[in-house]
Amino acid sequence: MWDTLIINPFTNVLVLIYTAIGHNFGIAIILFTILIRLVTWPLNGQQLKATKVMQDLQNDKEWQDIQKKYAKDREKLAQEQMRIYRERGINPFASCLPMLIQFPIIIGLYQSIIRALATNPLGLLQLARSLYPFLNSALLIPLNSKFLWMDLGRPEGIPFPGGFTLSFLPYGFPTLAIIVAVTTYLQTKLTMPPPSAGNPNDQTAAMNSMMSLYMPLFLGWLVLNYASGLAVYFVTSNVLGIVQYAMMGRVNWRNLLPGGSKPTPSKGK
Amino acid sequence: MKRLTIITFVLLGAVLLSACATSGGRGASWPGLSADANNAYLADGSLVYAIRLSDGAKVWQYPEKSAGQIFYSAPVITPDGQLLVGSAGNDHGLYSLDLATGKEKWAAPFKAEDHFFASPLVIGDAIYAPNNDGTLYVLKLSTGEKLWSLHISHSLWGAPVTNGKLIFVTSLDHFVYAVDPQTRQIAWKTDVGGSVPDSPALSTDGSTLYVGSFQNKLTALNAADGQIRWTADTKGWVWGAPAVEGDTVYTADINGDVYSFGAPNGKNAWPDIQPDGPITGSPLVLGDGVFVVTESGTGFAYDRNGTPLWPNGTTIGGKIYSTPVLAGDKILVTPMNTDFLLVALNSQSGSILWKFTGK
Repeated sequence: MWDTLIINPFTNVLVLIYTAIGHNFGIAIILFTILIRLVTWPLNGQQLKATKVMQDLQNDKEWQDIQKKYAKDREKLAQEQMRIYRERGINPFASCLPMLIQFPIIIGLYQSIIRALATNPLGLLQLARSLYPFLNSALLIPLNSKFLWMDLGRPEGIPFPGGFTLSFLPYGFPTLAIIVAVTTYLQTKLTMPPPSAGNPNDQTAAMNSMMSLYMPLFLGWLVLNYASGLAVYFVTSNVLGIVQYAMMGRVNWRNLLPGGSKPTPSKGK
Repeated sequence: MKRLTIITFVLLGAVLLSACATSGGRGASWPGLSADANNAYLADGSLVYAIRLSDGAKVWQYPEKSAGQIFYSAPVITPDGQLLVGSAGNDHGLYSLDLATGKEKWAAPFKAEDHFFASPLVIGDAIYAPNNDGTLYVLKLSTGEKLWSLHISHSLWGAPVTNGKLIFVTSLDHFVYAVDPQTRQIAWKTDVGGSVPDSPALSTDGSTLYVGSFQNKLTALNAADGQIRWTADTKGWVWGAPAVEGDTVYTADINGDVYSFGAPNGKNAWPDIQPDGPITGSPLVLGDGVFVVTESGTGFAYDRNGTPLWPNGTTIGGKIYSTPVLAGDKILVTPMNTDFLLVALNSQSGSILWKFTGK
């Protein structure tokens, strides 16, 4: 079911793009990621707006007051929060729904790239079965996985000079892993809202702060060990994420400066 | 507490994405198998096993604990008691094990650029090991030292074969290559129209090469110069290497059809024979016919006229992609997605003799 509805169509679109642009899989991944981003653009926009509403609420004086007032009465706090949601017409789940819809798309995109790269015999058999008849798979396979200095089916690394090796960097200097880590860091930092001044327990800010540290490390590690085609997807996705935030006027450039993420003052009702 | 929750979420994400990107381990691709008079040698995921043929008991396993290597290609038994096995793990290694004990004799002291999916070929004191990086590595049999290498092309997944003069290598790039080990050059190459993921097969006199491809064809080539002698159509991709017996070339395709082509002319002698599922492994020539395994987990035997030897086949279970092996009076089959790794069948009756679970 997942294969039929998500992975197979995605894989075929990816391979179709690959065919149309003259058998360059790297460009195909970039264009496909852009395409998916465009398709999910309205969902992203909706999510960003809903997130902003919730963030503004965190800085709202009435909201902060009830947090303090009913800190020890969870039930009453929930009732008061619901009242504020009702009065202001806020749907607290409005930011989750677009994300939930996008999540399978992102996972599907990721899996379709892995499938198209077909790095072992069983993978190749799965790819062959995923391709629709209008794509002449017998002629297309093997896909050209060379892109710039990379083989997209393998982890990336530029060999150290003089045959020097490091056991923890078996493929050489991990250029792409660094680029992925840096762009992930930039995206998280630039799109991170400032913490609210009146709320020292701002959980969103704490979460964002942690994510800006762990996500780059995690994705960098992933790229070190898996096919570099995934890295092309991560970099493209990160850059597009920043562009989309910028176009919506939501990029917080000050976050890149030391001490730039100062709390925003709380607002009254 | 908050920090712990966040770290837990990040770790869960890591596990999820890593699972999506899994590139190795058991089940990520199909196992490789070989056998001698006493034991079967199974390369299955992170381990290589020696299994006693008489009762299916484990003799040894390599390594003792998984060490990042991943083995899919059929291990190769050498005349001097080595077992050669290439790794499809990120180590990109080729290893020599002691056939009797499974202890590592050497690990090739060079690093290929990619995985070893193909079994190597041993000729005299040299090992010819094709790699997924498109290179044929030639190593010293006693130590694994690299003697020379020849970059051929795209991924090389099929074990090479030789007629004593040339070494024949197939590639996913649609070409069959003949390498002259004397000159260390490509003697000829021929485009067969589709990827060739498995080995070629040689006629008994070594003059003709038979190659199955993704072009839905079996192609016969002149081994001396690579000229195409004939091509025969199949209904689906031919994945496994053809099997030659005298004047007959058996092959099967992923459409699930089995063929018996005449070696001189490529005429199919059999009516439509379609067992119960796609076939990726090579047909196995038995004394009185041929045996095939299907993805559906069943084994079928046919006599030379295409008449089933066992009426309904033998249900083995799981999914079977690997080429079966004949070891004395037993047929060895390696299913995936089941609790057992290796099954021995009676080659006469098809009945199951024992199953090996890895323990």
